[in-house]
Amino acid sequence: MAILEIEGLSAGYGPVRVLHDLSLTIEPGERLGLVGLNGHGKTTFLSAIVGLTGWQDGSVLFRGEQIGGRRTHGMGRKTPQIVRRGIALSPQGDAIFPGLSVKDNLDSGAYTGATWRSRRKRRERILEVFPPLAPLLGQSAGTLSGGERRMVSVGRALMSDASLYLVDEPSLGLAPKISLNLVAALLEIDLGDGAMIIAEQNLPLIEGRVDRVLGMHAGELKLDVGEALGDVPPASAVHL
Amino acid sequence: MIEVVISALVLASMYGLIAIGISLTWASIGMLNLAQGFIFTAGGYTAWLYAQYAEGWGLEGVGLSAGVLVFGMLGSALAGLFVGAIAFLPLQDRDNFRTRSLIATLAISLIGTQLWLILFGPQNKPLPPVFGEGRIEIGPAGMSYQQLGTIIVAVVMLALVILWMRSSRRGLQMRAMMMNPLGAAVVGVSVRSTGMRVLAISGALTGLSSVLLAQVFFVSPTSGVQPLTTGLIISLAGGLGSIPGTVAAAGLIGLAEALTARYLQQSLVPFVLFAIVVLILIFRPRGLGGLLEDVRE
Repeated sequence: MAILEIEGLSAGYGPVRVLHDLSLTIEPGERLGLVGLNGHGKTTFLSAIVGLTGWQDGSVLFRGEQIGGRRTHGMGRKTPQIVRRGIALSPQGDAIFPGLSVKDNLDSGAYTGATWRSRRKRRERILEVFPPLAPLLGQSAGTLSGGERRMVSVGRALMSDASLYLVDEPSLGLAPKISLNLVAALLEIDLGDGAMIIAEQNLPLIEGRVDRVLGMHAGELKLDVGEALGDVPPASAVHL
Repeated sequence: MIEVVISALVLASMYGLIAIGISLTWASIGMLNLAQGFIFTAGGYTAWLYAQYAEGWGLEGVGLSAGVLVFGMLGSALAGLFVGAIAFLPLQDRDNFRTRSLIATLAISLIGTQLWLILFGPQNKPLPPVFGEGRIEIGPAGMSYQQLGTIIVAVVMLALVILWMRSSRRGLQMRAMMMNPLGAAVVGVSVRSTGMRVLAISGALTGLSSVLLAQVFFVSPTSGVQPLTTGLIISLAGGLGSIPGTVAAAGLIGLAEALTARYLQQSLVPFVLFAIVVLILIFRPRGLGGLLEDVRE
């Protein structure tokens, strides 16, 4: 059975429609890269999967169960139930808990269900993926650098017992070398039967490391990634 | 002088409990709960009703005292859930929740006062002394059992709440929601059920304060108004959402009230308290809590 089956998904905020009638299927074990410029709907797309949009319409089947449907208000109201089914989102802009320690931030990823009891083992697994976090465990997350915060945010998502990981712009605002390491660590994780969608502006970071790359342009999915990234046709070359 | 300090600590304990309830509710669900006075009175009347029955059964001593404390907290916790069912759950994801819930809790507070008047009449209801009657002498000064008991019970209760918030999963979920509601939703924390939990806990703290205060004053339909005001002053001065800030502000306000009552006069207390909170907010818009911790991003 497909991990995720999206059919006719539209979503937006208030009078603004961001996503236009999207359809997409993701199979177990698949890593999907989603590239596109800012403001073209990558974040809204990931948010819509967990019900964090102003309104939405269209079917979202997660392992055969409906988590989407028509909704005109109530942003985020169903999100806790949806993520408890096994979806982990690392949202844009971290959304970590500044006053909690790094350890408590990571543990928060295991708040749901039986994962809480195995949080120590899970935390150790995260520290293998992101070794720089190990000496910082007792420190308050508000004092971390941008790269460390992102590791905490992504690590928190990986703490849960999810079969679908949604990672929004892991490289945003980070120095190239740091984002390279972070994305590399992220894409080396063994997904098992799970799947991952990683939204990224920086195509070279993920190209060749994911199973499939789709473009997002003006709220629609494109097979042609170049169009999504706004490649200028070689007219300038002619001008030269 | 020692008497002033003791009196300040007693006041700080009683009002601090309410202030922490107000502060937690504001920080976690963004609701300034003006029905906290109604919740306060609900605990007082529940404890009073219990005491009526318990004395009828011939219960006395520790059993009676513990029951008064427990039923006071229980009554207020239930009142907190009631306020949540009316002012929080139906309004929570509407626009302008803060304004709407402010108006709703104000309405509950006004209607609630009339409700108590109809149910229990205007007479003051005394609660039995929970800590017994007597004094202990420490050197030149002394304090009554009631004063000592109030301080101990409030400190123990506060310590339990802080411990629970720092170490249990539910407590961590609550703190996570206070710091970043989006992050909390993403890790599966439901604003609605966590919010109701916060209201029950805030209610229980308020109920405890109600029983403690009723040792000095009485329970009456309007007995929640003045504690609500002082609680609001403390939680504002402390920086809404910060427990260390609220504790510090409770100490400061308690001391100010004790000093004013001792060396100036009792009727000046509200002026002094409001002047202090105005001064704090001019120089520290986020209250004392802004000095002590990062509350929210």
